[in-house]
Amino acid sequence: MMIKTKLKTGAAILALSGAMASAVHAEEIIKLGLSVPLSGAAAVWGKGAEFLCETAAAEIKAAGGVTVQGETYNFQCLPYDNKYNAAEGTKVAQALLNREGVKFIGGSLGTAPVQALQSLAERQDVLVFTVAWGASLKGVDHPMTFTQMNTPGEILPLLIGYISDKYPDAKSVAMLNPNDATGQETEALAQKVWADNSVAVAGSDFYERGTTEFQPIAARLASLNPAIIDLGATPPADAGAIFKELDVIGWNGVKVVEVGTGADGLKATGGEAAEGVYMGAGVTFDGETATDHQKAVNDEAKAEIGESLNAVQIGFYDSLYALKAAMEKADSVDPKAVADAMPAVTFKSFYGQDVGFYGEDTYGRNQQMRLPIIVTQVKDGALVEVARLTP
Amino acid sequence: MDKRTDTYLMVLIAAGALLLSLFLQDAYLRSVLNVMAISALLATSLRFVMLMGELNFALAAFTGIGAYCAGYLNTALDVPFGIGVLLAGLVAALASAAFGAITLRAKGPYFLLIGFAFTEAVRVAYSKFGALGGTSGMVGIFPARALDDWMPFIVMCVVVVLLVAFYIAEHSDFGRILFAIRENEDVARSVGINTYLCKVIAISGACFAAGVAGGLHAFVNNVISPGDFSYLLAAFALAYVKVGGEGYFLGPIVGAVLLVALSSYALGLGGDEHFLYGGAIIIAVLLMPKGVLGAAGYLRSRGTSAKRRVDANAH
Amino acid sequence: MQTFIQLGATALQIGAVYILFSLGLTLIFGVMRIVNFVHGHIFAVAALIVAYILPPLAAGGLSAPVAYVLASIAGIAVALGLGALLYFFGFRYFQRDLVGSFILSIGFVLLLDGVLLHLFGGAVRGVPEIFPGRVSIAGAQITVQRLFLCAVALVMAGVLYWALGHTRLGKALRAVSYDHEAAMMVGVPYARIAFLGFMIASLLAAIAGVLLAPVTIVSPVIGTDYLIKGFIAVIIGGLGSVPGAILGSLFVASIETFGSYYLDSSYATLAIFGMVIVVLLFWPKGVLGRG
Repeated sequence: MMIKTKLKTGAAILALSGAMASAVHAEEIIKLGLSVPLSGAAAVWGKGAEFLCETAAAEIKAAGGVTVQGETYNFQCLPYDNKYNAAEGTKVAQALLNREGVKFIGGSLGTAPVQALQSLAERQDVLVFTVAWGASLKGVDHPMTFTQMNTPGEILPLLIGYISDKYPDAKSVAMLNPNDATGQETEALAQKVWADNSVAVAGSDFYERGTTEFQPIAARLASLNPAIIDLGATPPADAGAIFKELDVIGWNGVKVVEVGTGADGLKATGGEAAEGVYMGAGVTFDGETATDHQKAVNDEAKAEIGESLNAVQIGFYDSLYALKAAMEKADSVDPKAVADAMPAVTFKSFYGQDVGFYGEDTYGRNQQMRLPIIVTQVKDGALVEVARLTP
Repeated sequence: MDKRTDTYLMVLIAAGALLLSLFLQDAYLRSVLNVMAISALLATSLRFVMLMGELNFALAAFTGIGAYCAGYLNTALDVPFGIGVLLAGLVAALASAAFGAITLRAKGPYFLLIGFAFTEAVRVAYSKFGALGGTSGMVGIFPARALDDWMPFIVMCVVVVLLVAFYIAEHSDFGRILFAIRENEDVARSVGINTYLCKVIAISGACFAAGVAGGLHAFVNNVISPGDFSYLLAAFALAYVKVGGEGYFLGPIVGAVLLVALSSYALGLGGDEHFLYGGAIIIAVLLMPKGVLGAAGYLRSRGTSAKRRVDANAH
Repeated sequence: MQTFIQLGATALQIGAVYILFSLGLTLIFGVMRIVNFVHGHIFAVAALIVAYILPPLAAGGLSAPVAYVLASIAGIAVALGLGALLYFFGFRYFQRDLVGSFILSIGFVLLLDGVLLHLFGGAVRGVPEIFPGRVSIAGAQITVQRLFLCAVALVMAGVLYWALGHTRLGKALRAVSYDHEAAMMVGVPYARIAFLGFMIASLLAAIAGVLLAPVTIVSPVIGTDYLIKGFIAVIIGGLGSVPGAILGSLFVASIETFGSYYLDSSYATLAIFGMVIVVLLFWPKGVLGRG
């Protein structure tokens, strides 16, 4: 009975992938795997990533597709739910690479599942785009991996420098981060950068993701009596709740969420207390810097997923244009050839300007998209761009 | 179904599974087969403790302990695959003996819920140790290159050996003691059985298998993270047991094969796989209280009784 | 001292929510002998409904408290409807079956995870403040909103405690949870009592949901954290015991508050789990449990 079931499933899966394989041939489609959380607390990030991947794929198709050796190719996005852990990340990697036959990962989110994906992808020479921050994922040992978003290494020096210039009297900071890979990564770097800017770190804590009651955490942060409170990689909704509780206790100082990605969650839980918060990975669509294209896509996204787009999700748009540029430059759809061409291409990013890749000084390889680093602040309930640096 | 055909059937299934793991070529199906084998082992381990009437929700914690043990030994100390997996089982067995000695004084829902709390505590604890990779998890847990192509067969062999051990234990005197404990612990104690000791032995035996399963998981996936070993792991194992049929030795195995196949298929549905998975569990427990095997047995017994009626008429 | 009062007030506020949660869990366990993991979703549904319909109601010209009351009624009604569905199409068949009911509740958890994500989306929703302002009690700062939440929770706990001892339904519930067979023999209609017990527990969760909506992060996964803490509270207090649930909730809230303040929030989480194991070493059935 067991064997029969196995064979049957196997047959079904084979038939399925066979049908897909023939479809690929007819339409000249390049499948892009996405390994993202589509359930649980981070589902909204994955949904937005899926949305932007499809937006970019549709745009590229409308503009004539990808031309390689006279043939026209189009992208197809295959979003799989990695549930933010390594075991599911492995299953997703197996399904994408070995079942769907994917050769390009359009984007991947979450350090643990991305490690699992990278481990398998490197054995099969599959090109991987990722927004995961772990420094262990980058470098010369990972020639097929490219980073599609600014990571703390890019953001922190600019953001912290800006804040210590603007508030020269603020000489102490208390930090809080979620107890996960991104939190631990951000915290280690932030400690160093604050110290470099001669701001004393009064304390640095971690909390478990999924926490819903933030009063004790706020009480502890306030008790350290810092001039600056830096919530590091805390997700916007949690950060809003913490600033609200801090406000109740009466703490008042410079509020920072270093890699905060959006104002919506912050305002949803923080209300008035979100006012004045600085963020390093926020994107604003209200100001004069926003293009019509950005506004149009963002409005559509808001209707679709309920939140403004953020820098994490935008990476899933940019990666498609980067892939298109690299494929056309290499005149090949072989992942190794595309990866070799990638560091030298430029493409039009969602942020509106032409960007390429850099990072050889930091990571030993040009694998990081040269995206603008934008410092934003919540002013009168809206997110406003206050500084921008293009590295 | 008498006992002899039962045994023949199992030998046949085991041989079939081993052959399949040896000759299956498709890389994806091989990975699914590994997951099925490991899941079947975990579900059987869970069912073994259920024989004495306790639900061992700490299963997820001991699987994790096994996986981290194997992972750490392999990446930090270069301990090879075989010894790593064996030590994973032993460490999990020792840890579970201590856990059982403390907690088995509580019963039923308390034991279940302590297991739940323990699982969550251990999961948070991994993230606090830098040597275990913190929250990002451990990477690069590889068996020797020569074993790479043989992994599904090796995994299947280990699983089959342990399943046979479980089968023998269940049908031994020790197994009968476990049944007696479930029926009435006081009666069992009154005839001179040290039930407390038996329970601790049962749980450490079951968790030895869980630790080995964790070790296999680490070597098969090459990457582990604390999130892999949340209480959901035990919840899914329980689902395998219930869907397959709690009353049958093959129940957890059939349940694991069916549900892993279903979830592999559902993985392509994006976030909607929860619908399918949750729905399957609900339908199975509501409509087939004795599991798939129970339902199959019911249909067959109706079939044979109908046949007997026909035979009787013919006479 | 100032700090101590502030922390004490915080522990009480958090504890009040855990009390509402754990009372429901302990009641369902007492009456039906089931461990209900889907309890958190009933809570989440109530909170989500409030977060979903409050902003349009308020935008439609209603004053904040009126809109809130309307939204709350809708939220509680939907949550109770869900509770009734879960009971009639599920738990009714699994009374006094610990393993069966547990796996059924896991099935419901997975299914509802998918359903809620589809219906409400994963984005966090903001609920405007209903009762603005804050008060200072003996030097501790508390928002009026939290004070209201705390007061309602304590009143609900008090009402439940009184009702269990003094009303017909309450006595029947207690009789069933002591010995359901004996209770049936003296004429207590067990099936009806079990249903009512389940619905009262759902009501408590729904009330917690609508009360928390304006002060916390409303998303489809909000229930899990409270569910885990609620279960720990009832294990410590003793399954089936109402005073135990209250005591356990306050204990968990205190460890969480003081632990987060003096150590670090993620160590406080570890400490809570550690305490469960220590407590059970000395009281294998919880501090006030009968088993």
